[in-house]
Amino acid sequence: MTFRQLAYRNVLRNLRSYAAFFLASVVSIMVFFVYSMFIFHPLFEEEALGSMAVQGMLIAEVVLYVFTLFFLFYSMSAFLQARSKEFGVLVHLGMTKKQLNKMIFFEMMILGSISTAAGIAFGFAFSKFFFMIGREIMELDSLPLYLSWKPFMLTIGAFASLFIIISFVSVSFIRTKRVLNLLHGYWKVDEMGKNSSILSIAGLGLLMLAYTLAALVEDETVYMMVFIIPPVATIGTYLFFTHSIHALLNLYKKNKSLFWHKSRLVSIADSAVKLKDSAQMFFIVTIVSTVAFLTVGTLASFTSYTGDYRETNPLSLVYISFEDNEQEQEHIGLLMNQLEQKGLAYDVAQLTVKRQTSEASGNEVDILQASQFNRLASTLGHENVNPAPGEGVFVPYSQDSLAALNETVTDTVLIESGIPLVIAKAYPHVLFPSRTLNANSIIVNDRDFENINMPLRGLTAELSSFDYYAFDIPDWTATLGIGDSLTDQMDEAFETGDFSRISYYFENPGEDYRWFKSSFALLLFIGVMVALVFLLAAGSFIYFKLYTDLERDRKQYALLVRLGMTEKELLRIINRQLVPQFFLPWTIALLHSCFAFISLQVVWDEFAELSILGEMAMVLAGFTIVQLLYFYLIRWRYISHLQAS
Amino acid sequence: MPLVKIDDVTKVYEGKVTHRAINQLGFEVEKGEFLAIMGPSGSGKTTLLNMISTIDELTSGRIMIDGIDPHELGKDELALFRRRKLGFVFQDFNLLQMLTVEENLVLPLTLDYIPLDKMADRVMGIADRLSLKPILHKRPYEISGGEAQRTAIGRALIHKPDLILADEPTGNLDSKASREVLELLSAINREEGATIIMVTHDPIAASYCNRVLFIKDGEFFNEIYSDDRRQTFYQRILNVLSLLGGNVNDISAARLP
Repeated sequence: MTFRQLAYRNVLRNLRSYAAFFLASVVSIMVFFVYSMFIFHPLFEEEALGSMAVQGMLIAEVVLYVFTLFFLFYSMSAFLQARSKEFGVLVHLGMTKKQLNKMIFFEMMILGSISTAAGIAFGFAFSKFFFMIGREIMELDSLPLYLSWKPFMLTIGAFASLFIIISFVSVSFIRTKRVLNLLHGYWKVDEMGKNSSILSIAGLGLLMLAYTLAALVEDETVYMMVFIIPPVATIGTYLFFTHSIHALLNLYKKNKSLFWHKSRLVSIADSAVKLKDSAQMFFIVTIVSTVAFLTVGTLASFTSYTGDYRETNPLSLVYISFEDNEQEQEHIGLLMNQLEQKGLAYDVAQLTVKRQTSEASGNEVDILQASQFNRLASTLGHENVNPAPGEGVFVPYSQDSLAALNETVTDTVLIESGIPLVIAKAYPHVLFPSRTLNANSIIVNDRDFENINMPLRGLTAELSSFDYYAFDIPDWTATLGIGDSLTDQMDEAFETGDFSRISYYFENPGEDYRWFKSSFALLLFIGVMVALVFLLAAGSFIYFKLYTDLERDRKQYALLVRLGMTEKELLRIINRQLVPQFFLPWTIALLHSCFAFISLQVVWDEFAELSILGEMAMVLAGFTIVQLLYFYLIRWRYISHLQAS
Repeated sequence: MPLVKIDDVTKVYEGKVTHRAINQLGFEVEKGEFLAIMGPSGSGKTTLLNMISTIDELTSGRIMIDGIDPHELGKDELALFRRRKLGFVFQDFNLLQMLTVEENLVLPLTLDYIPLDKMADRVMGIADRLSLKPILHKRPYEISGGEAQRTAIGRALIHKPDLILADEPTGNLDSKASREVLELLSAINREEGATIIMVTHDPIAASYCNRVLFIKDGEFFNEIYSDDRRQTFYQRILNVLSLLGGNVNDISAARLP
């Protein structure tokens, strides 16, 4: 047997204990590879949405890389520690530290190349599938599979470097000086080291502080809190797992009537040891899960923004013609033509809007004619308004403004034309996107409207009125491509800053909506994949820990059976041991996320006026189900391993 | 009436090579007796003990403990039977590492709904008896082998079982600790009338017993009863062992107490 063979056999025969983090690294490499396939896709080189996808995936790749590095490093050092007995034998037989390093390096390289190869193979096999999902989400006509060396090189390069780094670093953690300690296995003597009561209280205190701050976040403080709460919560979590929880358990243990009760004695004591043993791991799992929840939750709440989109954009196409627009009829004709070509039913209402100055506020207002407005309202299926002469009705620009406008009675005069108006109410629906009309817009009686004949102060008569074409198309999301030439001209004008040739404003909310929707869906898709890798890794930490303790646990259960524990009691003990390992980090992560979402909601309220509660609940419920499934899977494996003896 | 009645017990391990570990063995153990079972490696001692412990099945024959045939009990009843009637002492102590000495002692009682004050009383009584008081709050890795085995004996005694089964209790101990443990076992036997079955290699350990039963290749070989002087009993045990012709290495170098 050569030296290399030894390393090879070590990997092969330890495969069962390598299984969990082999799985996690294969999935991580696979996702990484799929993202690279997207990034290097020839189709994305010019597309606008493509560039967003590429950026999102690039970020995701960096995150994956860093996380996998961290995860593999942790698993590897724990695994090497668990194998210390084996290393003890080898060192005892005269293996030098250098040879030992070399052996581990070989093993790592074998493991690395197998998992990279497997990850890429799976990734490539599934990339057609992921391209299909991507195509659906981004609503592209086609996203063909392609062959290029670039994604392969990126993945291989990234993970080769990663495995090399890990094998060098993790080797340095083996201490070969004290062979006896190695041989002795890894029941560390300082396992139940003293708890510092100050740190225990500090842990709980910091968590409380973070939660209170998060719950009390206000608009004004939110940007400061973003930098205060996460570090406080992170330190608090760390101390909670390394100290507070043990202090609490010790308090519990002091109460013998609780503790000395049937299987509790064994299960609580055992859980305490395991929680202490892997405190750092629980900390990592908690933070990782929190980040995963938050990422996916935030992205999901973006998609709920698109859900509100229709309410704030009830018009399907908006064309506004300003002064000197010679192309007005030509453009409208073009739009109608395109709609007919696409076979879309539509209705168009033309409104003339006059600009005046209101005496009450001194601000400029837009004035609409009641009969024209009613025509649009009935097209959209809303009620009419009939202001009497001298009366006005406010046009709300958002749901929130509606309430505010309804409460005020304004007594004003349109200064230029000298028309007095009393405005007591607001129209109960939002009809116009807020960017297309003045925030102060008023519907007036037809006669009053006729009487507005003086131009806005300092402007010509032409400049003080414009034509508003509102299209209603029942199938409003199907307007992709309608008026693209107008949009392009506008984009060009925005880019060059030269508006001299543009005397209109055009908006296609249906197209914008699809764009919003697909980019958020894409981000969500990227986020869910990363979160899945996180969760899988978190689960494999736990599985791995269970596996390394299996021998000890098995012996212990054998003893308990001898001492007369029934099968039911044993199962209860196993459950009591597994449940905290799975669900304690989980619960803490859930708590963290809930409070984080309370503060996020404040941020959201400020700029998008939407509620993320529903989406959050869905995300958290979804993750909980995945975790439950994972728990039962691992419990099943664990119990069958235990019974194997 | 004998406490343990072994009747024509046979144990066959099926497998690639069928192996007859115990062959038509029969003997009885009286209440209050301290019995040693000796025999060379592979003679079936541990198999026999496991069958008495109810954790291994018989191929044929019958074992009665206190008038009950445990092999006829259901799973849960059997667990309860072990919990209440049997106490175990092992070669490698088998203390639970995450429990303190005190918690290890109280373990069999917690399984059985005993009220807390009664548990505390019992623990104190046992700790006193076995001089474990100073180490009650230590964890198993912090105490010596002798202390660990005393703890294990305490755990085997605390629920006042009918029968204590000891598998090489001195196998992992130095001679001083061995002597302490054996004196403790025989004192418990003498003063509290506990019935003990001990499997051992060690003729010194066996010389503390009332009776030594020798088995060879799973069959009864001989038995001898103690007399007044332990030294002569020890000599007689050695004589039988030499007749037994087991591997010489099995018999630890003569070390007279």
